[in-house]
Amino acid sequence: MSVLPLTVAVLVAGGTYLMLQAGLVRIIFGITLLSHGANLMLLAAGVSAWRTEPLGTEGASRSADPLPMAFVLTAIVITLAVTVLMLALARIGGDDDTYQMPDTGEDHHG
Amino acid sequence: MTVLLLLVALAAVPVLVVPMTLALGRRTGWVLAAVFLGLAAALVPAGRDVLRGEEVTWSRAWVPQLDVDLALRLDGLGLVFVMIALVIGAAVLAYSAAYLSPGRQLGFYLWMTVFALGMVGLVLADDLVLVFLCWEITSLASFLLIARSGSGGEAASTRTLLITFVGGLTLLVAVVLMIVATGTTSLSEALASPVWQENGALTTTVALLVAVSGFTKAAQFPFHPWLPDAMAAATPVSAYLHAAAVVKAGIYLMLRFSEAFSSVPAWNALLITTGLFTAAMAALFALGQTDLKRLMAYSTVSQLGLITAAIGVGTPKALTAAVLHTIAHALFKSGLFMMVGIVDHQTGTRDVRRLPPLWRVMPWSFATVIAGAGAMAGLPPLLGFVSKEMVLGSMLDAPGPAWTGPVAFAAAAAGAVLTFAYCAKIVLGAFVDGERELEDCSVPEVREAGPALLVPAMLPIWAGLPLALAVWVLDPPVDRAVSAISDGGGYALHLWHGITPELLATAVVVLGGTLVVSRRRWLRPRLERDLLPRSGVQLIEQAVRGATRGGSWLARLVTADHPGRHVGPILVVLTLLLGAGTLAVTLGTDVPAAQPDLGRPIDAALLVLVALGVAGVCLAQSRIAATVYLGGVGIAVTVQLFALGAPDVGLTQLMVEVLTVTVIMLVLRGLPAGFGHRRHSRRPGPVVLALLLGAAAGGATWLLTGRREQSGPARYFIDEGTEVTGGDNLVNVILVEFRALDTLGELAVLGLAGVAIVAVLATVPDRRSEDGAAPAELRPSPDAAPQDPQAARALADPASNLRAMQLLLRLLTPGLVLLSALIFWRGHNEPGGGFIAALVASAAVALVYLARPEDRPVARPGLHLGLIAGGVLTALGTGLIGYAHSSFLEPLHGYVGGVHVSTSMLFDVGVYAAVLGLVMVAFDRLGAAAVEHRTTGPGTPAPSHAEHASAQEERA
Repeated sequence: MSVLPLTVAVLVAGGTYLMLQAGLVRIIFGITLLSHGANLMLLAAGVSAWRTEPLGTEGASRSADPLPMAFVLTAIVITLAVTVLMLALARIGGDDDTYQMPDTGEDHHG
Repeated sequence: MTVLLLLVALAAVPVLVVPMTLALGRRTGWVLAAVFLGLAAALVPAGRDVLRGEEVTWSRAWVPQLDVDLALRLDGLGLVFVMIALVIGAAVLAYSAAYLSPGRQLGFYLWMTVFALGMVGLVLADDLVLVFLCWEITSLASFLLIARSGSGGEAASTRTLLITFVGGLTLLVAVVLMIVATGTTSLSEALASPVWQENGALTTTVALLVAVSGFTKAAQFPFHPWLPDAMAAATPVSAYLHAAAVVKAGIYLMLRFSEAFSSVPAWNALLITTGLFTAAMAALFALGQTDLKRLMAYSTVSQLGLITAAIGVGTPKALTAAVLHTIAHALFKSGLFMMVGIVDHQTGTRDVRRLPPLWRVMPWSFATVIAGAGAMAGLPPLLGFVSKEMVLGSMLDAPGPAWTGPVAFAAAAAGAVLTFAYCAKIVLGAFVDGERELEDCSVPEVREAGPALLVPAMLPIWAGLPLALAVWVLDPPVDRAVSAISDGGGYALHLWHGITPELLATAVVVLGGTLVVSRRRWLRPRLERDLLPRSGVQLIEQAVRGATRGGSWLARLVTADHPGRHVGPILVVLTLLLGAGTLAVTLGTDVPAAQPDLGRPIDAALLVLVALGVAGVCLAQSRIAATVYLGGVGIAVTVQLFALGAPDVGLTQLMVEVLTVTVIMLVLRGLPAGFGHRRHSRRPGPVVLALLLGAAAGGATWLLTGRREQSGPARYFIDEGTEVTGGDNLVNVILVEFRALDTLGELAVLGLAGVAIVAVLATVPDRRSEDGAAPAELRPSPDAAPQDPQAARALADPASNLRAMQLLLRLLTPGLVLLSALIFWRGHNEPGGGFIAALVASAAVALVYLARPEDRPVARPGLHLGLIAGGVLTALGTGLIGYAHSSFLEPLHGYVGGVHVSTSMLFDVGVYAAVLGLVMVAFDRLGAAAVEHRTTGPGTPAPSHAEHASAQEERA
């Protein structure tokens, strides 16, 4: 019996809930959870029955699929970039409520 | 080959214009005129071949996948238009050298020559895609030439662009339809295709689309307003573009395509009615103008209407008339535009109400304008007379019921009466009728223009006289032009045809016109006002305003600062897609059995941890607590990754988790302690959607994964990967060799995120830093001061508090640096590689930052952006090395001193640098630099991060 689908479900549900909140920091946390879920889903696509580390050709018949791993590794680093950028945006104005424009002291009317 | 050289030479001219204008200023025009004349002369041998009936062609595959060629062809029609573009261009450029104000005039010469390139390219192109591209070049160059003429030009140029782009779009659709229908992109093959005889509906559609495109450029009703509008441009621009070139591009298009469409009834009807209506309407409007240049614009619209109608008739005789009138019009109208410019230049105005009678002081100009206006009115013995006679006569051949010919003839003649009248107005208004005194002009002394201005303007007009007397010299080119687009030709051109209906019509026109002219004092006040309640310009402006309003109304449906409005619908669609798909597959097909042994006991344990962590993140009201839970989830997921046999992914996730949490802590210092947005968190919508999407995602994962053998790609990588790359770590070799392009894209994302952080935080002024006070939540308030004496001591003296950590740092940093290098080196064969190594180094950077008692940037300013740029460039450069072997990013292998090395390791260095750069940006911009701005004043130490963190914790 596979457990991964349940883990994916929990992560995606939590991520979705947080992404629909008002505060940008919670939205960022939501994106982080959602990416965890998506990454596990990708790895599950490689079939979790074989879990030998894909190093060299030994144990090839039990070896995990390296291609989803490469995808996920890329995804993790991109998530880092996106998260850091969004965190920088959340910091502007001293409040992260996305329903109110932050008071940045910027004059929009010339 | 000649045609290619011509085009290459024309393409080189705009490049040379840049240094030339620096050295010569406005006198560049003389050089360019000589170049254009030289090119025209160089084309003479090829032109002779064309006149003998040969075609000069050149072709080279351009986009072989789509069968698009860079094909050029010079035939009779092309020759006529190329010569017009080059010769009139030379005259106008020579004129510009004296007309323009002294100065560099780079924009003018640059765009004029770019325009000439586009125009010549258009008439030489023998590929439909190339035709479209050149068509758009002429549109854009024309736009830029109008736009650079000062404040009045901006709005006018935008309206012009709007109209010509409509024509560009219809041409694009027509071109695509033609390519699809005929299966070729070759213009000559497509026009000769039998499709146009077989498929009536398609032919009519394409013919109408081409006609609309031609109308927009040739300023035919209802697209005519742009031409009078474009009079904001400098006079040389009008003399070239609006008399001889850009409007003639529309005429060229209709002439060229009449090869296929001249027997399509809709084409005939549309061109004849639009042409004749435009001719009469614009002639009436021209009569009502007081600005001589706008009068010229309307007269151009009117003359182009006549040519359009002749093309619509479509018989070889009518096409001969159209080609001849195109030549005649290019000559007299460009000359007349330049003469108007001379009047303006010498007197300071071109309004007939303010001009004095000039004929005494400007006799040469007077005579030249008479000749030009006479040609336009169709008076013998000028070239305009010959061509207008032919156009009038060809109307009698209009296809359709018997009455169409005489009606078209009468309509054209009626328009000609008005033409005669406005031609007389040009001469009389500018030179004879003026009521002001010469002394009243704004210029001190009105006198005849110098030869530098006068000669280039006189030449095209006076050329009409010998050409009319010896009109047979035009026989071969006109004949070749017509036989290139129709089956006939061979209509010998004569000044004197005998007593014909058209000659009688000319006599009537002169009589009627004279009558109108004699009543001009009565007519002028009645015509010189707005004849219609709304001008075309106002209508365009109204349409634009309406479109803008519609656009902003549509935008309001989705505009929101908070992302929920955009994210929500996406998540709903995703739920429906996953849910419905999962249900359909489960119910509708035989699902293969799952592989045995998919789960492990540790998976269940991790599920419990993940579920607890997720619940914590969702329910926590304190930001710090939520961050701790988030870190917990991250660690549990990391363990799960290791458990799945993905050590590289797990290591990466671990390092990313550490850095993310550290950066979050930096950011949280600037935010309130709690989330405190309860007003939204109580809504049921997010909860319901979250549960549904979670169930759908879980269901889809259960249903769609784990039900197959090892995939083909997996088998390939496992069996062959090591052999192909020489590396044992398959994930790493996939990242830096097999799928290196993906990784390059990812690097670019990382780099851009870093640049974006720097850019955004630099442009948003932090008002709190300006008034010099730290924000309230950053200063530990007295009541928030820690009660615990140990914590209070730590805050009071951060340096001693951090002593232990600094000691640790001394031991750890060299170790981390060494570890980073080791991980990098072994990445090819064992878990590791550029990403993980860079993240380990980043952890060292984080440690250095955290162990400091005061906030200071971890890197020299500019170092992080340098690392990012260097990383991306290194990766790109490595990719280029791949070309040495076969293709972009192809890794090269070799041995240096017995050790296997590969260029993919160099690529990994790029990865390393970019990741490190991004992390440094995060620390410096979100940590040190952010607080540095907020120092409370000299002598007060900046509040340290440790201080904030503990203060926040206290409050949480």
